[in-house]
Amino acid sequence: MSNDAATAIPAVDGPQGPQQELPTHGLGASLPPADARAKTEGTFPYAADLWAEGLLWAAVLRSPHAHARVLSIDTSAAAGMPGVRLVVTHADVPGEATYGRTVADRPVFASDLVRHHGEAIAAVAADHPDTARLAAAAIAVEYEVLEPVTDPEKAFAAPPLHPDGNLIRHIPLRYGDPDATGEVVVEGLYRIGRQDPAPIGAEAGLAVPRPDGGVDIYTASTDPHTDRDLAAACFGLGPDQVKVVVTGVPGATGDREDPGFQIPLGLLALRTGCPVKLAATREESFLGHAHRHPTLLRYRHHADAEGRLVKVEAQILLDAGAYAEASSESLAAAVAFACGPYVVPHAFVEGWAVRTNNPPSGHVRGEGAMQVCAAYEAQMDKLAARLGLDPAELRLRNALATGDILPTGQTVTCPAPVAELLQAVRDFPLPALPMDSPEDGWLLPGGPEGAGEPGAVRRGVGYALGMVHMLGAEGTDEVSTATVKVHDGMATVICAAVETGQGFSTLARQIVQDTLGIDEVHVASVDTDQPPAGPATHGRHTWVSGGAVERAAKMVRTQLLQPLAHKFGMSTELLQITDGKITSYDGVLSTTVTEALEGKELWATAQCRPHPTEPLDGAGQGDAFVGLAFCAIRAVVDVDIELGSIRVVEMAVAQDVGRVLNPAQLATRIEAGVTQGVGAALTENLRTARGLVRHPDLTGYALPTALDAPDIRIVKLVEERDVVAPFGAKAASAVPVVTSPAAVAGAVRSATGRPVNRLPIRPQAAVAAS
Amino acid sequence: MTLPATLGEAVAALSAMPAAVPVAGGTDLMAAVNKGQLRPAGLVGLGRVNEIRGWQYQDGHALLGAGLTHARMGRPDFAALIPALAAAARAAGPPQIRNAGTLGGNIVTAAPTGDALPVLAALEADLLVAGPGGMREVPVTHLLAGRELLGPAELIGHVRVPLLHAPQVFLKATGRTGPGRATASVAVVLDPARRGVRCAVGAIAPMPLRPLEAERWIASLIDWDADRGLAPEALTAFGEYVAAACIPDPPGEEPLPPAVLHLRRTVAALARRALGRALS
Repeated sequence: MSNDAATAIPAVDGPQGPQQELPTHGLGASLPPADARAKTEGTFPYAADLWAEGLLWAAVLRSPHAHARVLSIDTSAAAGMPGVRLVVTHADVPGEATYGRTVADRPVFASDLVRHHGEAIAAVAADHPDTARLAAAAIAVEYEVLEPVTDPEKAFAAPPLHPDGNLIRHIPLRYGDPDATGEVVVEGLYRIGRQDPAPIGAEAGLAVPRPDGGVDIYTASTDPHTDRDLAAACFGLGPDQVKVVVTGVPGATGDREDPGFQIPLGLLALRTGCPVKLAATREESFLGHAHRHPTLLRYRHHADAEGRLVKVEAQILLDAGAYAEASSESLAAAVAFACGPYVVPHAFVEGWAVRTNNPPSGHVRGEGAMQVCAAYEAQMDKLAARLGLDPAELRLRNALATGDILPTGQTVTCPAPVAELLQAVRDFPLPALPMDSPEDGWLLPGGPEGAGEPGAVRRGVGYALGMVHMLGAEGTDEVSTATVKVHDGMATVICAAVETGQGFSTLARQIVQDTLGIDEVHVASVDTDQPPAGPATHGRHTWVSGGAVERAAKMVRTQLLQPLAHKFGMSTELLQITDGKITSYDGVLSTTVTEALEGKELWATAQCRPHPTEPLDGAGQGDAFVGLAFCAIRAVVDVDIELGSIRVVEMAVAQDVGRVLNPAQLATRIEAGVTQGVGAALTENLRTARGLVRHPDLTGYALPTALDAPDIRIVKLVEERDVVAPFGAKAASAVPVVTSPAAVAGAVRSATGRPVNRLPIRPQAAVAAS
Repeated sequence: MTLPATLGEAVAALSAMPAAVPVAGGTDLMAAVNKGQLRPAGLVGLGRVNEIRGWQYQDGHALLGAGLTHARMGRPDFAALIPALAAAARAAGPPQIRNAGTLGGNIVTAAPTGDALPVLAALEADLLVAGPGGMREVPVTHLLAGRELLGPAELIGHVRVPLLHAPQVFLKATGRTGPGRATASVAVVLDPARRGVRCAVGAIAPMPLRPLEAERWIASLIDWDADRGLAPEALTAFGEYVAAACIPDPPGEEPLPPAVLHLRRTVAALARRALGRALS
């Protein structure tokens, strides 16, 4: 009963089989991260720990209004304060006044208009952080407060909040026959709240001016090259004059350190000629970075009498906040996966992403896919109830498989073991009821010594199937470059893929160990002098950067073995390297890597570029995705039906992973994803009132604690290799986030008999209907 | 920052520097300082004032030092004395907060969600306030309601709580299973000597609310000389009585908004459960 997920992994039939001893290095081994010890002991340096001689501290003045005209900015009082070195506003931005990852629509500093609570207006550099904050507060800004547009449904008709208009993107997906109807029709309206990525370390950075007039920015960027390009454009400098050096990343489930923090920092360093440090407060972090899109969804599912889906009609409205950010891509995912991993002959989905004066929305893992998953799975539960079918059985009847066609017209060519995943979680034994195992102690909803009363607790079980795409979609040029160096029996990997906790640097070591037989592998730190590897999102680095590392390692291997192979008159394929020793297939040759190197250094650089995709067309059709990953989760919850308090007892997860590259790391990624999903289902919602963020702190924004995290049982990892992916592996982090909230909602639905059409689930929605 | 060793020294230090702020656990004060909301000109640390870190007995009452931490109050020996206060202290947050946060700090912060406050209100606790003019007594409810305020250089030294030798229950509803702020909390204490039930509801108003009529009504139903049991219907009625007293129907036809209605149901369930546990 008490075995945890990590120990549950070896029970899964892996390539080694259950009997064999587990490998300690190379692919398939549970190699621990190289920095695990330093991070556990608290000695690992993050950006907030950086220091430079003579540094100044930055503070940013942020808008207290969600929507206001800026009439005047008077910085004289602030600039005159003792200890203040410089105050900058929009007038001091030498290059582009606006930036953006997709559309350059976001001002570095608001000039005439603020469009969301917390928008940057000015920045101060001073010799003490308190001085900087006080000076920022002393900047006199005269506002004319405007009516904020906070209801995305009203954004269509509202006066434009931005010169680009309020509609960021509209996708009208049309697939099949619009007149098709089913014998059974269910409808629903669903609302998904605003989840914050809430990284454990808030944004921080250090900018150091260079003698050549450029600037180096040390920060925990997850997309350093894009950040560099955006910052350089705003500074009016060439990309070669700005360098982003990536420091340790203290948690990243979305884009980190967005340029809104880096650009004021670099600007202050350039203008003062001094190093400048910025460490955001938790409040600034909540106000400044991008959140998950709050979403409004309307659904109508048609099915035949046997429960086979006939048609899905949906309207999906994403609240993008004031700026475009990643909303276009989020919308594409939401529309494309609006029906879920089910076979749907006819689909009509309208998706919109609109501007409002709410906090900015952007990339948070599983974006788009998570919101629709909660809605289509609620619809599947409704359909099952209407037809009197078991919810798992209804899902099995509609499960997607390889060769089926998505509503975007794209054929699913990768493994899609959806039915197998669902069967695995359905057949896994349910957790014991407290009355059957009283010795375990029952943690009631409400916590230990809480108000929970066993007589008021009902248990519920819910199922959900989720899917995500991997890598950038819709024609994004995906490419990563990696270099592998071997010298003196030790290998080094140089790749600009940022280790965000997803495990890339551990994977890179495993790949080199596997290919070159060298155990000691060092992964270099990342800066923008290296060739780009793309943002650390959508499982990109496991696939693209991992692929690049493998190719480079293979090239080094060939360079190493070629002379030997030539000398012995055999091909390099007949030689193998293990534990630093080179042996031939017949045992004639036996030498060490160090000897074969003869003191030389071997270098190789390679690129990986997956097959191209295409944008969704005017009818939402196109081969937009490189690969897909699937997950099935069965949630078991206890609900106190009088108080509406909910505790997730267990999450049974079966996931389509392609190939297990590092079992321990994979388990932690799935556990982290499920826990983030449980947060989105129950507590995580950054609340606003008229566009103003309420309680931007970790007391008001309740993350799951250890007591809220359920038992996570990884019951099956389906290892059906994806032939187009390097190693056949699929990204594992995002799809549990997508699937968990829907599973929890389903379980609460079954425990309470209430519809549960809003996430996070409010207590009043989980009180039994009386 | 000064670190007095006695309450008298602390009062003297505050008198000498009126702009200084006393600090004990600092779980509220330092968070406000870190946020930049508060910039005290000086601090008077109470961590070395040993006389307020424990408790003593005084004619049927306990004199609790204002410097008692939540962690200390949560321990079994304290729970045997004042069970509801111990339960509130254990529920008051994660271990780091409970190790630092103090009883006196909980009172002077007077946050609506302060977990000790409904318990102190139900116990009708009195505060012993030390100041330049000597010691004075203030009922805790007077301070929380703003009827009496702490004067310059005044400090809460002790909290006088009756020892009732009877069951007491504190229950709180929160948004998550782990530690969290109360959305509503209820303290129920039995006073067999005076044949009374006292109840206070926390977190739903700026200060704890006492449903006095509901207390008197339910006390009159209890057979104090026998097993003190009540029928489930009476418990339910008590819960609804308490909830309706604390969250009354608005005048006119307008019904309560759903969120408030849920809060009222939560209070009713908590009060019913708390009394049920106290009488079982």
